[in-house]
Amino acid sequence: MSEANRIPKVVFAGFASCFGCQINITNKEEHLMDVLGQIDLQYWQLTSSDPMPEEFDVAVIEGALTTEEAVRRARDLRERANAVITIGACAATSGIPGMATEDYDGRRGSVYGKALPDVVAGGVVPQAVHDVIDVDFEVPCCPVDPYAFVEVLQHALYGSNIYRKSSTLCGECKNNERGCFYGRSTLCLGLVTRSGCGAKCPNLGRPCNGCAGLSPDANVDQARAVAERAGVGADALTQALRMFNQPERIG
Amino acid sequence: MLYRVMDASELPKLIDAFMESYEVIAPVQSGRSVAFEPITSFDQIVLDYPTTLTSLKKYLLPPRETLFEFSVDDADITDYALEIPPRVLFGAHACDINALNNLDLVFEDARYPDPYYEAHRAATVIIGINCMPTETCFCHLLDADEVRSGYDLFLQDLGDRYLISIGSVEAANILEAACDLREATDEDRRQFRRLTRERQEAFSPDIPDIQEIPMLMDAFHKDAFWEELGGRCLSCTACSAVCPTCYCFDIQDSLDPDGATGKRERVLDACTSPQFAQVAGGHNFREGGRERVRHRMYHKLNGFNSKYGRYLCVGCGRCVRACKADISPIEVLRFFDQKEARDA
Repeated sequence: MSEANRIPKVVFAGFASCFGCQINITNKEEHLMDVLGQIDLQYWQLTSSDPMPEEFDVAVIEGALTTEEAVRRARDLRERANAVITIGACAATSGIPGMATEDYDGRRGSVYGKALPDVVAGGVVPQAVHDVIDVDFEVPCCPVDPYAFVEVLQHALYGSNIYRKSSTLCGECKNNERGCFYGRSTLCLGLVTRSGCGAKCPNLGRPCNGCAGLSPDANVDQARAVAERAGVGADALTQALRMFNQPERIG
Repeated sequence: MLYRVMDASELPKLIDAFMESYEVIAPVQSGRSVAFEPITSFDQIVLDYPTTLTSLKKYLLPPRETLFEFSVDDADITDYALEIPPRVLFGAHACDINALNNLDLVFEDARYPDPYYEAHRAATVIIGINCMPTETCFCHLLDADEVRSGYDLFLQDLGDRYLISIGSVEAANILEAACDLREATDEDRRQFRRLTRERQEAFSPDIPDIQEIPMLMDAFHKDAFWEELGGRCLSCTACSAVCPTCYCFDIQDSLDPDGATGKRERVLDACTSPQFAQVAGGHNFREGGRERVRHRMYHKLNGFNSKYGRYLCVGCGRCVRACKADISPIEVLRFFDQKEARDA
């Protein structure tokens, strides 16, 4: 088989996360075998205890990096992989583990006291994967949409002319014919959250909680002003953003 | 133009007649707002409705539309066969029909006709209805409060009866077969004139009537106003999603999950999206909110005029409500108004 036709070897690695994204990428049952047929899956803790191979092409990473060992392992994955794909909010923004960022030592102390167990001794302030290594592709959200994962995987394997936009969510929400939560004095993070998910939560009647991450072009100051005018309160917006976005990103 | 008068009680018959052979789209209650949706009975229609959240654009230029399908191995392309049911868009307001007329100018341009748009348009019958302005309506300032063409039927509510302008033979045949019609009388014409005047006087006086808007857009192109307005932009693209005349699109190829076949899609885009003007190599011609918001307003209030002699904006006011940062053409009109006051 020529180099061009070689089936890419793929490994999955999980760091601090619920592993829900790794589960969710299988939630496309009727197409699962079609997707697996395009890759040579070499390592996946959820399916086999075989050790990680020395050589592979694509590393798919879930989870935030919360220990020195995780940081080392992520660097190692980067060195060996031609392409790194992160899946989920924890990997993209440090997500739920990232909520420990503010007053990290104090929070650890309140949980473990002074005698840190060995298993958490090498803990570091939770970091998004791209804070530590170069990431080629990102599948956002908590959890990832299984088809969004396939699209990104295919982008990594074959290329794509789809450019990821940094516009925020409200345009997609309007296409769902939804009125705005702010008209009902209800906080919604769609104002500053990156689009691409199709505004699934607002479409189900729930405000956006920002799991797709703050857009690099988010206008947080203006969003705070909107929240203030709507009677929601500017600080409530900033506080809500912290579930999936850490203060240094919020500004 | 042919005019007929029909008792209001005849209207359900007209809708029923269309429903026999058309999909009928009409304004219906949707949560707290009104939306254009397919109906199955006349009772679902909200006849006296304020502006809908999104426009009729979705029936001619869907947010996402497949152009063709392809196979990867042999690069074989299958023309996508659009199967559009014969469709009636019932209850369109004047601004929205003018908006569709603007889209026609672009997509039915004789030099570059768009076959997808044309397929939708050819299958579509438009029945307009008169309306009273809401507080965010400014169609009258942009010459879009009257509709002179682009409809099959237009209903003027005269109270207990409708004065109907008949614009097509297709619709006239169905109307005449289903409903009891009569010639308009002098009293009908007087009532029409009274109601038209009432409507004209009902527009919000808070939205300034500005002359020579396209010229002012050029004259104040570098004004600090654009920095202030654009600086507020959330880059959310809600404005263009709800706009009846924003038609810019992106072309995207996506593979099916097996990677062996795929489709090319047209996906509506927005010039207020930060990457809209980014080109190969990474340069972005409109990098900031100032440039992007200004560009959008220019197309609506200046650029389209140069080419087609009319405003692209029809003053429907949807973006006024959709934009949480209070950016809208009304703010531009107010800026011109204040400019005059300041410079006096």
